Amino acid sequence: MQLFNLEAVSIITTFKVNIKIMGKHHLGEFEEIVMLTVAILHGEAYGVAIIEEMETRLNRSVSIGSLQTVLKRLETKGYLESEMGEATKMRGGKRKRYFKVTNLGKEVLRQSKDQRLGLWDAIPDLA
Amino acid sequence: MKLNNPITPPQFLIRLFRLFCDPRMVEDIEGDLVERFEIRVNKKGHRKARWLMAKDVLQLFRPGIIRAFKGTQKLNYYDMFKHNLLISLRSFARHKNAFFINLTGLTSGLACALFIYLWVSDEKSMDKFHTLDGQLYQVMLNHEESGLLRTEEWTQILLAETLEAEVPEIKVGLPGTPKEWFGQMPLTYEEKTIKAEGKFVGKEYFNVFSYPLIHGNRDQVLTKKESIVVSESLAVNLFGSTEAAVGKTIDWSLLNFSQNYLITGVFADVPAQSTDQFDFVMSFDVFKGMVGDGAHWGNYNAVAWVVLEENTDVTALNAKLGPFVKERANGSNVNVFLRPYSDKYLYGKYENGVQSGGRIEYVRLFSIIAVFILLIASINFMNLSTAKATRRTKEIGVKKAIGARRAHLIFQYLEESLLLTTFSALLAIGLVWLLLPQFNNLTDKHIALSFDQNLISVIVTIIITTGLVAGSYPALYLSGFKPVEILKGRIRSSVGELWARKGLVVFQFALSVTLIVGVVVVYKQIEYVQTTNLGYEKDNVLMFKNEGKVNANLRSFMTRVENIPGILSVAATSHPIVSEGGFTTGVSWQGKEPDVEVRFSNMTVGGKFIETLGMELLEGRDFDPNKETDYGAKIIFNETAIKTMGIEDPVGKSVSLWGNKVQIIGVVKDFHAQSLHEVISPLFIRLNEEFLTDMVVRMAAGQEKEVLDRLTSFYTSYNEGFTFDYRFLDQDYASQYAAEQRISVISRFFAGAAIIISCLGLFGLAAFTAERKGKEIGIRKALGATTGSIVQLLSGEFNRMVGLSIIIAMPVSYYLIKSWLDGFAYKIDLNIWYFVGAGMAALFIAWLTVGLQTLKAARINPSKSLRNE
Repeated sequence: MQLFNLEAVSIITTFKVNIKIMGKHHLGEFEEIVMLTVAILHGEAYGVAIIEEMETRLNRSVSIGSLQTVLKRLETKGYLESEMGEATKMRGGKRKRYFKVTNLGKEVLRQSKDQRLGLWDAIPDLA
Repeated sequence: MKLNNPITPPQFLIRLFRLFCDPRMVEDIEGDLVERFEIRVNKKGHRKARWLMAKDVLQLFRPGIIRAFKGTQKLNYYDMFKHNLLISLRSFARHKNAFFINLTGLTSGLACALFIYLWVSDEKSMDKFHTLDGQLYQVMLNHEESGLLRTEEWTQILLAETLEAEVPEIKVGLPGTPKEWFGQMPLTYEEKTIKAEGKFVGKEYFNVFSYPLIHGNRDQVLTKKESIVVSESLAVNLFGSTEAAVGKTIDWSLLNFSQNYLITGVFADVPAQSTDQFDFVMSFDVFKGMVGDGAHWGNYNAVAWVVLEENTDVTALNAKLGPFVKERANGSNVNVFLRPYSDKYLYGKYENGVQSGGRIEYVRLFSIIAVFILLIASINFMNLSTAKATRRTKEIGVKKAIGARRAHLIFQYLEESLLLTTFSALLAIGLVWLLLPQFNNLTDKHIALSFDQNLISVIVTIIITTGLVAGSYPALYLSGFKPVEILKGRIRSSVGELWARKGLVVFQFALSVTLIVGVVVVYKQIEYVQTTNLGYEKDNVLMFKNEGKVNANLRSFMTRVENIPGILSVAATSHPIVSEGGFTTGVSWQGKEPDVEVRFSNMTVGGKFIETLGMELLEGRDFDPNKETDYGAKIIFNETAIKTMGIEDPVGKSVSLWGNKVQIIGVVKDFHAQSLHEVISPLFIRLNEEFLTDMVVRMAAGQEKEVLDRLTSFYTSYNEGFTFDYRFLDQDYASQYAAEQRISVISRFFAGAAIIISCLGLFGLAAFTAERKGKEIGIRKALGATTGSIVQLLSGEFNRMVGLSIIIAMPVSYYLIKSWLDGFAYKIDLNIWYFVGAGMAALFIAWLTVGLQTLKAARINPSKSLRNE
């Protein structure tokens, strides 16, 4: 990536994303929350951490099953990417899978936020 | 479960999770599970953490996390499936002959099987539609007669109500009369008279049998003595609509009885699924009134149906009911038992008190034929596929060389045969759909092709079974080739394989020959039954009901009819002549052993009965209708009766009938007053003017039409208000054997189908052999062989196979057909020529099939077949 002009790449990406978002892609509510949580955790986002974060911040219980399905789906769509961490003595010696929001994912989140704000702004009188 | 070490999460949950989880995700999710467990143990305690983990694991069981079945191989299977399909379709396209032979064979085979299934399931559903089917029984009586048991449906009038009152297991005891006893009875409303079939039944009739009522209340329609319930079509015929019928009063008459009836209800026409077909029912009380004093334990003039309490042990109940009548009537010779009502149709035959088949035999027979026909069609497929194997050896060799396992090839060939069977099944369904009206005609049924769950599951089962059976042998055979040898071109048919193929052909033809023999013998027996000397002349004899003015002035009517030119003689009878009528055990004679009950058929006649029916008198004289003393006190016996009683020089001697002395005036030669299934039984004839239900008229041969016209015009002017409905005795007779007649016709069709399918296979094999041996034939011809010698060479093998199958088929068919014939008391002798003829027919058909092919091969110019090398 360093070899290219970053600006140019970013513009191209935005262009693509726009097309995609205008098209069939849009985020579900749970998907959006998961992506936002992943973004909040910033590099420390793995299964249990995400769940804990969601449970404390939003006070809603999440099962590993539903979270993992969504994570997998978001990864397939290209909004998230993941890599395995190092093994520790905790959690039975199993490695963690850390998730990260991709550029595409960030763009989608931003679009989603803009749309909502747009909608909020369009409300004539919020009494 | 180490409770003292709370750190460890339950291993079995982890193992379960590993079992179903996608391997790419297993590590991190498992880690998550464990970590979450550890957190929860600290927060919520060990027990709760375990429960929650179990919940988590269960919630992980969802698409996206579950591993794909068989992992990555799944895709490959799909591709192989597609590939196999393509190869199959290509091979169909390349070997068009074999494909069409197989397709035709399997299609006709499947169509036959489907027809038979429809027929069998229709037969099996007879009388099963009553809601109380499981609890509904018919009361049967076993009569002890001369050491043997005779099973009858007829019961005493009292039996039904006594059973209901005295046996706690019996919820309802319902009396009735069989409608056959009265035949068509006239019903009159104002000026309109319609004849219809009906019967007398007890009050609970519509609660016991589920014939739906259009008008009227099930509990009340038959409570009053003067009530009648009519069928929808009868109501429409008489009154124009069902609504108009209710509440009307109609006149009913039978012989000297007549009665005004109030229509209390209308029932929907009796469905074809019911063996009992009737147009109206009347209250049983009227019948009781007609019989009067006759309602005692020695008279059998009703039938009885019972509804049992739920979960009754019928075997135990039967044991208990056995002596029921004997306990109530001294000297009775009957034992009571119950038969499921819906068994009446299929299990109607009893021998010495033991159930011995009935129509169920035909059901079984046809089921076996269906299997045979499918087998024959499958064998065609096996033979042609294995015979053509050499054409596909390269394919198999290459596949094996690049790593196909035997199982894959087996799968491929099974797929091919299943594909072909599915094609055929679709065609067969179309064929069945097209031919169903004709089939219904032939079988006298109302079968509709409705694709319910049953039919679909049967079709699918047939497809899969046939496809697997047909595909099994080729699949195992073809997949067994050794790749090195076949790619080198060294393929030799093993001896075993040749034997198998020949064996299959022999088996196929043995089945066909057996079927031919069966058809021929059944046909001959039916013909015998139609033409055998019955002891009376059934041709040119007309019968009609004795009713109205005719019944009132019987003697003068007979005299006037006799005077019509072309009418030879007139009589009246109480007996249907062609089938069993009434019977009695009330005859005693000098020297009769007191505890032996002998059953006599009882014919009450009027006029010159013996002359009219052309019976032969051995001794004595016929009744003289003008002699008053001949009425009641004189009797004529048949030969068998005289033999049974052991009376010598019978004419002039006396016997006692129901306690009255009667004098024997004649002995008539034995005649068949029952179906030919039965042995001729003792019989007597009496002159009496009561209860004569039918008139019998003999016309001069050759001018039936003119005589009939004269008789019709006389009758209509004489008996006003009645239409002249007549029937011919020979038609009545033929209708008795309608079941056999139908079976005979249907079996002819199925046997034909079986033979055609066998020949198709033979045709394919012959064509193939001729093609394979093209070069050999060419060389032989070039060296001077004649066409004849080549035909001989090619067809010799087939002749031997067909010959062997004939030899095998002989004893088998003999055994089978003999057991069918044993059901007839009077039957044809099994002639050797039936078997030889069937064999010759099979051989001839095989020659024709093979001959055409071989002749074609033998006439090819050798230069053509040898040009390529």
